[in-house]
Amino acid sequence: MNALSIRNLSKSFAGSPALSDVALELRGGEIHALMGENGAGKSTLIRILAGVETADALVLEKDGRALPLSNAQNAHDAGFRFIHQELNIVPQLSAAENISLGLPYPRRLGLAVDWKELNSRAGMALSRLGVDHIDPAMQAARFDTGDQMLIKIASCLVDAEGRTADLYVFDEPTAALTGEESEKLFAVISGLKDSGAAVLYVSHRMNEVMRLCDRVTVLRDGRNVLSAPISETSKEEIITAMTGRSVAEIYPPRSSDVGEAVVYAASGVSTDEVSRIEFKLRAGEILGVAGLANAGQSGVLRIVMGLAEPGKGRIEFGSEPAPKTPSEAWARGIAYIPRERRREGLMLQMPVCDNAVLPHLDRLRRLLFMANRRGERAMATRTADDVRLKAAGLSQPVYQLSGGNQQKVLFARALGRQPAILVLDEPTRGVDIGAKYDIYALVRELSEAGCPVIMTSTDLSETLGMCDRVLIMRDGAQQAIIDAAGLTPADLLSRIYAS
Amino acid sequence: MLRILRIYGTLIGFALIVVLFSVLLPGTFFTSGNLINISQQISMLAVVAFTMTIVMVMNDFDLSVGSMASLAGVTAAVLFSLGYPVYVGVGAALLVGLLGGVFNGVLVSLVGILPFVATLGTLTMFSGLAFLVSGGRTIFGRDIPSEFSGFARGGIPLDFIGLDGQKLPFLSLVALLVLAVVWFVLEQTTYGRRLYAIGGNKEAARLAGVRVKSLRLSAFALTGLGAAIAGLMYSSRVASANPTQGSGLMLDAIAAVFLGMTMSEEGEPRVLYTLVGVLILGVLDNGLTQLSVDSYIREIMVGAIVVSAVAFSSITKQSR
Repeated sequence: MNALSIRNLSKSFAGSPALSDVALELRGGEIHALMGENGAGKSTLIRILAGVETADALVLEKDGRALPLSNAQNAHDAGFRFIHQELNIVPQLSAAENISLGLPYPRRLGLAVDWKELNSRAGMALSRLGVDHIDPAMQAARFDTGDQMLIKIASCLVDAEGRTADLYVFDEPTAALTGEESEKLFAVISGLKDSGAAVLYVSHRMNEVMRLCDRVTVLRDGRNVLSAPISETSKEEIITAMTGRSVAEIYPPRSSDVGEAVVYAASGVSTDEVSRIEFKLRAGEILGVAGLANAGQSGVLRIVMGLAEPGKGRIEFGSEPAPKTPSEAWARGIAYIPRERRREGLMLQMPVCDNAVLPHLDRLRRLLFMANRRGERAMATRTADDVRLKAAGLSQPVYQLSGGNQQKVLFARALGRQPAILVLDEPTRGVDIGAKYDIYALVRELSEAGCPVIMTSTDLSETLGMCDRVLIMRDGAQQAIIDAAGLTPADLLSRIYAS
Repeated sequence: MLRILRIYGTLIGFALIVVLFSVLLPGTFFTSGNLINISQQISMLAVVAFTMTIVMVMNDFDLSVGSMASLAGVTAAVLFSLGYPVYVGVGAALLVGLLGGVFNGVLVSLVGILPFVATLGTLTMFSGLAFLVSGGRTIFGRDIPSEFSGFARGGIPLDFIGLDGQKLPFLSLVALLVLAVVWFVLEQTTYGRRLYAIGGNKEAARLAGVRVKSLRLSAFALTGLGAAIAGLMYSSRVASANPTQGSGLMLDAIAAVFLGMTMSEEGEPRVLYTLVGVLILGVLDNGLTQLSVDSYIREIMVGAIVVSAVAFSSITKQSR
C-alpha cells in the first residue's frame, strides 16, 4: 500500500459533534502519530477505523480506490490491525492460543489441534518481536501486564503472515510497559514500517512520539489543528496545538511548606506482597512510591487502603486502629484511585453521578437508609465541576467518556468529602496531556490544603514533578526514602536500579 | 426510532397480546372479573420474580426459589397437621425461607461459589428436605386450617369503585405489597443503590467501600424470604401442600426478570419492568388457557416469546 486517505470524516453523538471534517493522510512506510486531549476525538476516530462505530460522513481511499467501512469485517479485510490500550487477553488460554485467537488453529488429520505447530507459530511471532522470555505453551494469566501486551501485539503479527496488513493502529501501547519492553516494541514498530506498512500511533508520551514517528496529526475538539512532519515541528508546538494554550510549567510548583503533623505512619509493616515498609506521611506531603515494574508499589498503597493485612509492624492513623477494609478506609476519609480504572474503578454501564457518589451514600442518606438523590446530584455536580469533567451530563454512562474523563470521574469520587489521605495508583495512566494538567493542578491544590497524598507513577518526571519524597521499592521490599528536591529522572532511575 | 422500539418493544408486545386476546375472546378476556382473576393467578410468580430481581440486580441468580417455595409450603402444612396454630406455621415457613436464603448467601459471598452452582446445589437440597419433611405426601383436607386456606379466598370488596360483588384478592394485595417494598428497597434506599453498584462492577464497588460480601449475603436472604412467601400463598390458594408444588416458579421468575431487563436503557433489572414481564407471562397463560390451547403448545409459545423478546433487545442494542 502506498497511501491511505481519510477525508471529510464527521461523526456526532446525540447531536454533539465528536469529529468534524477530519482528514488524515497515512502512507506506507511511515509512522503517523495521532495526538489530542481527552475528548478530542482520537478514540472515536479509531473506533470508526475499526468498523465498530459508523461515521456520519467519510471518504476512505486506499491507493486512490474507495473502500467500504461499515463493520469490523470490512476493517479486517482492508488490512487494518488494532492494538488497544485495554488488553483483550483470554487469561485461561495459553499464550500461543491467544496469539492465534480468531484464526483457524493448525490441525492434524483435520481434527485434533496440532499444539506443536500452534506453539511454534506463536514462538515465531514472538521472536519477531525480539521476545524470547515468553513460553507460548504457558497460560496467559501467568504473565504480567507488560508480557500480555506483547502477546497481544504478537497476535497481530501472526495474522500478518497469512495476509499482509496495511495499517497497524497502536492505541497507547506503552501505557503498561516498562522502559525495556517499550524499547523492544519500538524496534518492532520500526520493523513494520520498514516492511512498508502504515502505522497510526496514538500516545500521550511526547518523547516517544518525537523519537518514533515521522508525521503527526493533532486533533482538538474533533477538528484537525495540526498536521506536519515531526522534523518540522516541536514538542512545544504540539502541546500548544493540543491544549490551545502554551506550554507553561507542566507540574504546578509547591507554594507552601509541608506541614509538621504526621497524619499516617507505618513502621516495619509486612504483608503478603511487600515487606519492611516504613514511612511517615505529613499533612500536605506528597509521597511517591517508585520502582521497576511490579516491585510492590501498589502493595504499599494497598496497606493504606486496608486491602492487605499487615502480618507484622505497626500503623498509626488517628486515634483508632488502622482501617482493615476499603469500606472502613473510605469511612475514615481515605480516598483511593485504583490502578486499572475500568476493572477496579468504574461501573462502566452506570451514570457519572452514581459512580461519583458511591462511597459517600451513607453521608448523604436521609432517615437512616433512604437514598438522597438530590443530595447525590448536588455532590456530583460540585465534584464534577471541581475536576473539570467534560460529560454530556451526570446521567451519561461512564463507558461513553474518554479515558481522561473516566479518570476524572474517579477523582470526583475522591473529592466527595475533603479527603484525609489521597491514595493514587498511577493517577495519569492512559490519560491525555490536558487531563493530566487538570489532575496535577487538583492534586497540588489538595496537598496545599493540607491533604497528604501517596502515589505511584511509572513516569519518573511525574514522580519528581509532583512528589516531595520518594519511597523506593525493589522486589517487594522498601529500599529507601529519598528527598525529591533537585533530583533528575536519571538520578532517580539510578537510585531505583542501584538501591 | 430504533431506540424507541428497543425500550418500548416489550411494552408494545404486551399491549398487542392484550388486544389480541380481547378480540379473540370477546366478553370474557377483558372483563374486570378475568383481570382480577389474572392478578390472583400471577401473584405467586410475581412475588418470586420481584424478590429474584434483588439478586439479579447484582448479576447473580437464585435457582433454588422453586424448591424453597415447596419447602416453605410443606413446613407450614406439617406444623398445621401437628396442631400448631397458623401463626407458628407461617412464621416457621418464613424463617425457613430466610435461613435458606442466608445459606445461599453464605455459599455465594463468603465461600465464593458461583451462584449458578451454589443455588443449583441448594435447589436439590431444599427439594429433598421438602420430601423429607412431608414424608413425600400431599398434606391437605382437615390438616390445613380454614383460617389459612380462607386467606386466599378472601379479598377487599370493590363495591366502592363500582365493581359490585367483586373482591381484590388478598393474594394480589400481598404481591402488590411485596412490589412496593422491593421497589422501595431497590430504588429509594442506599442499600439498593449499592446492589446496583455491585452489579455494575463488583471489584470496583469493593474498592469504593461497598461491603460486597454482606450485601450479597443479605440480598440472597431476601430472595429466600420471597420464595417462602410465595410458597405459603400457593399452599393457601390450593389448601394443600406437596413437596413439588413450587417447582415451576424458578424458570418463570427468571424469564420475567429477563423480559423486564429488555426495557431498561443499559439492560439492568428494574422491579417495575419485572412486573411487566410477570404480566406478559400471566396474560399469555390466562388467554391461551381460555382459547383451549394445549398446554404443551402453550409452553412452546411462552418460551418462544421470551427468547424472541430478549433476542430483539440484544439485536437492537448491537446496532445502535
